Amino acid sequence: MVEYQSILDWINFPDPMSNPYYPFGDAYNLPYDISMKIWEILGGTIAWLLNLIFPNNGISGWLVCDMTANFFALVVFMILMFAVPFIGCLVSLWEERKILGRAMDRRGTMIGMWGFLQCVADGLKTFMKENVQSKAVDKMAFMWTCSLVIGVSVLLAIMVPLSGRWFVVDYGSGLLIIMALYALAPFFILVSGWAQNNKFTLIGGIRAAEMMLAYEIPILIIIATVALEAGTFNINGIVQAQYDTIPYFIPQFVGFITFLFCATAEAERAPFDLAEAESELVEGWQTEYSGMKWGLIMLADYLRGYVSCAMIVIMFFGGWNIPFIGDWNNYMPEFVFLLKAWFVFLLMILIRVGTARVRTDQILNLGWRVFMPLAVANLMIVLMLKVGGII
Amino acid sequence: MAMNYLEEYRDGRHRTWKDLWVVRPILVCCRLLLRTTIHRPVTVLYPYEALWNPDNYRGRPALEFNKCLGCGMCVRMCPCTAIILVETPDDEGKPVMRPQINMGRCSFCAYCAEYCPVDAMTVTPIVELAEYTRSDLIYGPRRLAYEHTTEGMKVKFEETLISDYKNGNGEIRHDHFSIDRPELDEKKCISCKKCAKVCPVNAITMVEHGTNAKGRPILWPEVKSDVCVSCSNCIDACPKSALKMKEVL
Repeated sequence: MVEYQSILDWINFPDPMSNPYYPFGDAYNLPYDISMKIWEILGGTIAWLLNLIFPNNGISGWLVCDMTANFFALVVFMILMFAVPFIGCLVSLWEERKILGRAMDRRGTMIGMWGFLQCVADGLKTFMKENVQSKAVDKMAFMWTCSLVIGVSVLLAIMVPLSGRWFVVDYGSGLLIIMALYALAPFFILVSGWAQNNKFTLIGGIRAAEMMLAYEIPILIIIATVALEAGTFNINGIVQAQYDTIPYFIPQFVGFITFLFCATAEAERAPFDLAEAESELVEGWQTEYSGMKWGLIMLADYLRGYVSCAMIVIMFFGGWNIPFIGDWNNYMPEFVFLLKAWFVFLLMILIRVGTARVRTDQILNLGWRVFMPLAVANLMIVLMLKVGGII
Repeated sequence: MAMNYLEEYRDGRHRTWKDLWVVRPILVCCRLLLRTTIHRPVTVLYPYEALWNPDNYRGRPALEFNKCLGCGMCVRMCPCTAIILVETPDDEGKPVMRPQINMGRCSFCAYCAEYCPVDAMTVTPIVELAEYTRSDLIYGPRRLAYEHTTEGMKVKFEETLISDYKNGNGEIRHDHFSIDRPELDEKKCISCKKCAKVCPVNAITMVEHGTNAKGRPILWPEVKSDVCVSCSNCIDACPKSALKMKEVL
């Protein structure tokens, strides 16, 4: 008979950075720390129970060893990293519905918690929808493009760091990688529109590709300008460059306005929702998708909107820092970031509410003859300021 | 180049600088957003809140059971044939004829209330009449009761006669129920007393005018003009079309 062991012997919250398999090098990672502690509680409880029933078994020790703890902590970490942008985009969805409603002299959604639970109800509804699929679609391309659009959007949303301690990877070309992943979606949309064998989806896909020609170049010029001003493409570096000083939207005001419109186009939100113009094309490139596939595509849309806002916050609003408050920034940087992202989303909603959808020729005009010169002008301003030694 | 693009829009319809391009509509929407955030939007949450209704709103008809004569004017005038007369026991248990309304057919025109000679039929502000079955929509005479009847809900019906209008007295309003009275064509009358039986206000008395060849009494109806409500039931009941409506003013 072995003596009774307390559960506290199995749950002891070790420092995650002392774990030899800690995946983030020297940097402290808050979500990994949280996941590690959650796993300590879950795995430690299971190990303790198993040890009570089968004393001195091998599995109990295995469940709390460094390598296993690291593995399961990473599983929890993945869920946590997805949950935060997910909740963030649900909030932005709610914000859009309410503000759009108020700006149209309506009330917006009214189901529970000032309408927030409408998002949950919509999600549950899509689970119950029938999954209808046309016989003539190209099945492989149909499924793959849908999955890739959703997958790339979720990946994008997870790549956005919420603060210096809340990130998945922290690398030199962060902004560029995000833009590269972002620009993949129109390609998938084009292939998907072709694969669905439907005139509306095909027109939607072609429009998505055409739109990308229009706004992608000004966006990249503005990103280059921001990188020029900050001296790095690293997201953390860009935010640190704006620490305790005026954020970039003041010297680069032209670039900020241009990027706001371009990012709205990038996220395919109104007034640039040409690819899913529901008043002209039935549902654009999503016409043939039904049930949960459609629901996930909708979620991906809003995740991309969230990423657009996060990019603007990182590049022009000083990321998770509030200027001129110094060390006070250390308390809740993640919340500051999310609040700023929702504020930028408010600006996007205000653009949406006041403007009609642009035509296909207008978006090309806008992209090449308005946004492009403005982006170059912004670059010139920053160059002059840089050469003049002001920034 | 951007200026060229903006210049293109200065064609009278798009006055670029005065319209502030897309900024003007966004500002307009922001102003509305601010107003509806401080005050409330114009929409109402219908099941919980309701729009304001006028006092004498023409909703479903209501019936004051004991005031009703059972004359059938409402049945006659209903354009949707929603009303029928049914036999109902009154307060003493005696069977009387009273209107029953099928709300599924009613169009809320309030003709029944207009044509009711004693204002027993009124309108009410009630418009929420949803039921689970169609038969639940049929309102019997007792179910039609409504206690908060005001004077405005008793819809009055007044007429201007063409003859008055031609004589330059267009301002005169006549009560509809005092204009026409039944008139007898004595040659056709067969003294059957049906008109007296159907009269809801007992305005008809059969008056003897001698005897006929077989020695039976000749009875002609005589209408008490002050009691009659010109419901024309006697005219419908007459088997020989001896009675007809005549303008008496």
